Amino acid sequence: MTLTQIMKMLVACILVITFILVSASAYRQHRTISSLAELTDATSSIVNQLAVDQLAHVDETGNKYSYAIDMDRMENLTFNSEIGGENFEFQISINYQGSENRRFGPEPPENSTNCSMIVACSLWSNNRFQLAKLGVIAWRV
Amino acid sequence: MKDQGVADVLSMAFMFILLVFAAVLINAYSMRPLRAATDRQLELKCEYAYQALETSWVEPYTISILRAAAENVVLEQPTVPGQYLRSAMENALDYLSPPGYEISLAFTRDGKTLTFNENKAPPSKQFVRSGSVSIMGAGGENVVVQVVVRLFSVS
Repeated sequence: MTLTQIMKMLVACILVITFILVSASAYRQHRTISSLAELTDATSSIVNQLAVDQLAHVDETGNKYSYAIDMDRMENLTFNSEIGGENFEFQISINYQGSENRRFGPEPPENSTNCSMIVACSLWSNNRFQLAKLGVIAWRV
Repeated sequence: MKDQGVADVLSMAFMFILLVFAAVLINAYSMRPLRAATDRQLELKCEYAYQALETSWVEPYTISILRAAAENVVLEQPTVPGQYLRSAMENALDYLSPPGYEISLAFTRDGKTLTFNENKAPPSKQFVRSGSVSIMGAGGENVVVQVVVRLFSVS
């Protein structure tokens, strides 16, 4: 075997190894990105559940006002949800004009990836509908 | 023998180019699901902005922000005066806009248009939610005002 042939063989081997490494890295990155995208969608889903159903204001006649948050309904709320066979925990924050953020639920763990989302909503407070923001930080359990 | 050597080198160079091309392609496309999820969130934020403006009242009145603006398009003497509404609306839109984005509103009825925080520059990204508000006209008839809420990037 000549030196040229050895060099060619070496270059071919390096190419094959690089190809395997790039493929493995791409697969790992794809899984991470998919996991983040799932967490993002799960957070959106939790926000929807809260704003449309679980925290929606219900008046004396039983009419439900979706997208209008009633903080009194926070008392019976459980801060976990199962979405797509996975369990998520979340923390809620509510902010309205001229007020501090009010937080409800457990603190997000430091060693776990979380996703936050803040949406506009209406807040039922002092017999008035006022502009507010609903924030959710969700993470996998 | 010499031709054989050149062919080997060429095939290796081709494999190398293919490898670089594949790596760039994989990297470019791997972020797509995350970008799509982020766009879905922004779409949702636009929907929520519309719903919040439709439900929340203009302080200190007991009329929703969208309805108050629609009245300003149709009625000569709306519940909320125009100047006061514009100031309240600017505060509301400023408060609701996510970081890096702004919200604009347009109300249209029979060619008459009322806009708030109009976007002049073409945005790189925008999400639109259309709807309508039905109010009682001066003659007692039902008048429908078209509403368009835009969430657009300002970067």
